[in-house]
Amino acid sequence: MVNTHNSEETQARMKVEEESPRIDVETAVLSMTEDQVGESDAKSASTVFEVSKLNVFYGDFCALRDVNLDVTQSEVTAFIGPSGCGKSTFLRCFNRMNDLIETARVEGQVRYHGVDLYQSEVDAVEVRRRIGMVFQKPNPFPKSIYDNIAFGPRIAGAKKSELDDIVERSLQRAALWDEVRDRLSDPAYGLSGGQQQRLCIARAIAVEPDVVLMDEPCSALDPIATARIEELIAELKTDYTIVIVTHNMQQAARISDRTAFFSVQVTDAGRRTGELVELGATEHIFTNPDDPRTEAYITGRVG
Amino acid sequence: MSNTEETRTEFHQLMDEVRGDLVRMSGLVTEGISTVTQALLGNDIGLADQISSGDDEIDLLSVEAEEKCVRMLALQQPVAVDLRTILTDLRMISEIERSGDLVANIAKGIGRLQGVELDPRLRGLLDRMSEQALRLTSRAMDSYLDRDAGLASALSDLDDRLDELHNDFIETVFSSRNDRLITTQQAVQLAVIGRFYERIGDHAVNVGERVQYLVNGELPEHKGAQRARARREQGDVS
Repeated sequence: MVNTHNSEETQARMKVEEESPRIDVETAVLSMTEDQVGESDAKSASTVFEVSKLNVFYGDFCALRDVNLDVTQSEVTAFIGPSGCGKSTFLRCFNRMNDLIETARVEGQVRYHGVDLYQSEVDAVEVRRRIGMVFQKPNPFPKSIYDNIAFGPRIAGAKKSELDDIVERSLQRAALWDEVRDRLSDPAYGLSGGQQQRLCIARAIAVEPDVVLMDEPCSALDPIATARIEELIAELKTDYTIVIVTHNMQQAARISDRTAFFSVQVTDAGRRTGELVELGATEHIFTNPDDPRTEAYITGRVG
Repeated sequence: MSNTEETRTEFHQLMDEVRGDLVRMSGLVTEGISTVTQALLGNDIGLADQISSGDDEIDLLSVEAEEKCVRMLALQQPVAVDLRTILTDLRMISEIERSGDLVANIAKGIGRLQGVELDPRLRGLLDRMSEQALRLTSRAMDSYLDRDAGLASALSDLDDRLDELHNDFIETVFSSRNDRLITTQQAVQLAVIGRFYERIGDHAVNVGERVQYLVNGELPEHKGAQRARARREQGDVS
């Protein structure tokens, strides 16, 4: 997540936020009685995102149609499916990254702790602070290791005296501290690919998000670096809700609690529209999926 | 994107091979059942000797099939129906292999009967037990090949019939012994042989349970497991 606004602007915006939707989010969650929790799955406090009737368009082309899905707190939810099925497009809906694509248009609702993320009052920058993102290729800033982590908190107004703590805690949380503690002022580009990706995860969690979105975070890494990221994901899920897009089905099987399978429908005009086929407990999806399309895809009977 | 495009041809061919191995193993067992019964009723020791080469073939096929399953598990990361199929195959290999052993055991028992002339009631019951064991074995294989969970679950009813025949047979063996038509030694041998037929039926029922798992993904849980689960939930760990 690259935040290019200066800190005064952001702070001013966050002050406004304090009085409107942000408080709504907090009170919506905190004011729930125990009876309400678990009474209805869709309204339960453990539901982070409720997506309903979501369509995403690029211009007049429908990339994703009628998606309904919940994301549960402190769980890893994995999205799998063939190329072009809209899973990355869908992931970007969770922190309004599609706003940055001019032709993209979102219909339907993405509710985050009960608040519709696409309401006009909701500040996309604040959304992205709470819902961080890690990308396919590690993309550290051309700065020192320290400054990569300190960047977000500085913008968010962290005091200089707090920064050392935040940097250390974030790097520890991302299992990178021991490897870089003696060279925090070295450029981040000097790190290996796997270390850079863990740095990006540390950078994402430095601003204390609620959710971390990951878009194929291991596709540029070797198996050992991949295994370390997977282990990290398992540790992080106690504190964060994680949604991950992966092309590696075995990875989804290893690390996720629930798996959503997306597929592509090809129209007569040859246009490809993504759709959610099935969402279920990962073990269920990989041993006995309900939908024959899921089975065909994961067993390799469909190209 | 075509819906029939196969992307893991080699893997799925290997799965087909294992299915072929199981068909051959099961075929050798059913063939063995009818041959061994013929040998038993005709008191034909020579015929009984043929059984052991059939059993060797079953053993070899079971090793080969298991090796293929191990290879697929290690190299292909099977999931969903592929995973359930391979797990079912592995269990079926041992069930069918055991049935083959039981046929071989019956053949060995023939020698120990010392050429006894069996009375018509015993002969009739042995013939019907053999028929029922053969039917169970081939129906179990049919349920696997057709992915037929209904047939698979009906196997336990077919097996009840075999159990009744077995009970009748044991009673008849005892009364034959009491009437001094056979010696105690021969009575014991016959009881053991009857038991072997009955066990073949049990293995077919086990295959049926695995086929149900293959089709619907639910592992069979027997009454004993249910009782133990209930005890564990009550915190009784004795």
